[in-house]
Amino acid sequence: MKNTKHFLHRRTFLAGLAAGVALPSVLGISGGKAFAQAATPVAGGTVTTVGWPGPTYLNAAITTAGPESFLSPKFFDGLCGYDFGMIPKPALAVSWETSEDGLKTTFKLRDGVKWHDGQPFTAKDVAFTFMQVIKVHHGRGRSLFADLQTVETPDDLTAVFVFGRPAPAMMKALDGRESPILPAHIYEGTNILENPANTKPIGTGAYKLTSYERGANVVMEKNPEYWDTGKPYLDQLIIQYVQDPATRSAMFESGQCDIVYLNFLPPLDILRLAKEPGFEMDQRGYETSASSQQMDFNLEREHFKDKRVRQAIAHALDLNWINENIWHGFGKPGASPLHHEQKEFYTTEGVPSYPFDFKKAEALLDEAGYPRGANGVRFEMMIDPTPYGDESLTVGEYMREQLRQIGITAKLRSEDYAVFIKRCWTERDFDVCIYTAAMGADPTIGVQRFYWSKNIKKGVAFSNGSTYSNPEVDALLEASQVELDPVKRKEQFVKFQQLVMADLPTLPICETTRATIAHKKVKDYTVDALGGALGNMANCWVEA
Amino acid sequence: MTFDRKSFLYRFLRHPSGLVGIIIILTTIAMAVLAGWVYPDGPWTIAGTPRQWPGVNQAYPLGTDSLGRDLAAGVLHGARVSLAVGGAAALFSIIIGTLFGGVSGYYGGWVDDVLMRITDAMQTIPSFLSAIAIVGIVGASLPTIVLAIAIVSWPMIARLVRAEFLRLRTYDFVQSCRIIGMSDFRIIFGQILPNCLAPIIVASSVLVATAIIVEASLSFLGLGDPNQMSWGTILGNGRSALRSAWYITAVPASALVLTVLALNLIGDALNDVLNPRLKER
Repeated sequence: MKNTKHFLHRRTFLAGLAAGVALPSVLGISGGKAFAQAATPVAGGTVTTVGWPGPTYLNAAITTAGPESFLSPKFFDGLCGYDFGMIPKPALAVSWETSEDGLKTTFKLRDGVKWHDGQPFTAKDVAFTFMQVIKVHHGRGRSLFADLQTVETPDDLTAVFVFGRPAPAMMKALDGRESPILPAHIYEGTNILENPANTKPIGTGAYKLTSYERGANVVMEKNPEYWDTGKPYLDQLIIQYVQDPATRSAMFESGQCDIVYLNFLPPLDILRLAKEPGFEMDQRGYETSASSQQMDFNLEREHFKDKRVRQAIAHALDLNWINENIWHGFGKPGASPLHHEQKEFYTTEGVPSYPFDFKKAEALLDEAGYPRGANGVRFEMMIDPTPYGDESLTVGEYMREQLRQIGITAKLRSEDYAVFIKRCWTERDFDVCIYTAAMGADPTIGVQRFYWSKNIKKGVAFSNGSTYSNPEVDALLEASQVELDPVKRKEQFVKFQQLVMADLPTLPICETTRATIAHKKVKDYTVDALGGALGNMANCWVEA
Repeated sequence: MTFDRKSFLYRFLRHPSGLVGIIIILTTIAMAVLAGWVYPDGPWTIAGTPRQWPGVNQAYPLGTDSLGRDLAAGVLHGARVSLAVGGAAALFSIIIGTLFGGVSGYYGGWVDDVLMRITDAMQTIPSFLSAIAIVGIVGASLPTIVLAIAIVSWPMIARLVRAEFLRLRTYDFVQSCRIIGMSDFRIIFGQILPNCLAPIIVASSVLVATAIIVEASLSFLGLGDPNQMSWGTILGNGRSALRSAWYITAVPASALVLTVLALNLIGDALNDVLNPRLKER
């Protein structure tokens, strides 16, 4: 048995070498830039990675959870991929066109694509996926595609999206992680959430499922029929689920795993290993998963109704220090409600900032009518950090110490995750809460929810928890949802950033960045905006 | 207490492990008492550059943690929390355990049956897991943690006290108390209990040690009171820097090991000294 396997392995390796000769022509079509200076890819081999927690489904069309976001793009393709800078590039769609009023987008689909079970891929699959799955079951898709009225399929290779109102943000949510295309012939007429294919995926993607052991590992093998001829290069992709970050570090260092995405190692270990020969770190490829750490002030609380108090607290925190010492440099100090990866709209120009300054903070508090009392204390407050990961709690500890120095006695509360969510977004029984949340590929997808007054929704976690309500901001956000002119849309978001940072209902703490760390033998794991973590890993190969 | 050769204190200090144990514990207590004078600003002050190794900067003899807080201040203030939690939790479990065990052993019959089945039920639950559950549900604060530890550790004391009461209640002095019409309450607390203090004291020293460890484990898992710096809190903070700055974990860990060891040594010594059969040794 062992011998056969070895033999097969060698043969595929030789086949890979042969394919290598024919490669340059293939490379010209996609990802050619990335290979320009790199060595010629070699087919064959296995790449192992680690993560935590394990997935519930293997299908990101029905959940927005992290583990599925990683796995799904390997099994499923989206209509588009994204080059660095979130520029759409062909995947299942080869070209697209939006009508002038923004209400119709026509996608021409790739010919000859086959599902893993051999059935042909058609426009029917696209229509089914968006109308019956993404619009109904996807956490973000539900609101993003709310105005999608129908998907017309004039022929097998054309899908026409018809909207009631323009939805410009949609063009950034068509990849295999955000909107994976599912096979209509498997799902149609079934209970989608309970379809067995959710854990035995049948996609069009670069990899097929070999085995899935719940909570332990997922093994994938190359899809030899993949439409991107010659790819994927790897024979096998293995994801192991390991709970303890220190164990993951040890596995990576000893070579039991080849590459680790999404800061799954402790940050100090990433930095230590990145300096050693044999490893390399890459911070690119996380453009669709930009996330920021921020703090909601409960505007229903007397103290925080006055924006001078909120600004005083902002002045008391050294966000550079937090970025350096708590996030270990994996981020940028918070300066805008947007994330710096949202390059099209992000700005700090004309946006109010709150540099670290105790004197200013104390002056603002005096002005707001909270002088130091006899014991030197102005008032007391409670900090609720997310009981998940270390950073929220550590920022809370730092903040408590900083606030003590300007005469505010703060206490930290640590609770069960479910209790924390209920306290902050259902019962609203908190002063300030600290959390890290996804900002989305587009501000309409990820940022709007924190500031739009129509999103003050009791019981919805990570909605507008501060209960911020500013008609001017609402108008800007609603206009940007349907604005087709990129210049005007940018203006709207610039104004939005200026207004929100002046009012400061939510304090941006850190615009976090992520890192991939890999053994140097692993090549081309990040070739576009989606990287290896949220992309299809079709370009990745290992040096023999 | 006279300091003659028969006295308890003399024999205790002559016992090698007793002497070592008491020195370490007194040092820990001194650290706890002096913490407020030596580091009046408390353990949370961000004092200097993060992750300075011990000895690099004389201002921070034990180095600084990931946020630049002085580890020496943390260890001294941590001694307060750890000892307070250990002491309070042990006290509570002794009170609950003694009441259950005493009543159960003295009355016997159905009272004994009911109380001991409750005790059995408590003992079947893995104690650390139930402590995690209690703290997780009620919320992490020092009183909750003390209560959680007390709730999971009293059955051991209850069993011990019951066995002593079962033995002592048949003794003549108890019978004579009954004959002269002494109330049950006075017999239990005035007569039998003082006679079984020795094993309770021995058990309680170990109980304090266990309570300190449970509190440290809870804090290590992030279930400690976030407003109290205990040794476990420092351990938990150091975990993510284990490979690059192991001293952050090693410093509070040594304090824990020494204190728990000392309490166990004291327990051994007390066991020997209080055991009447070994009195002549």
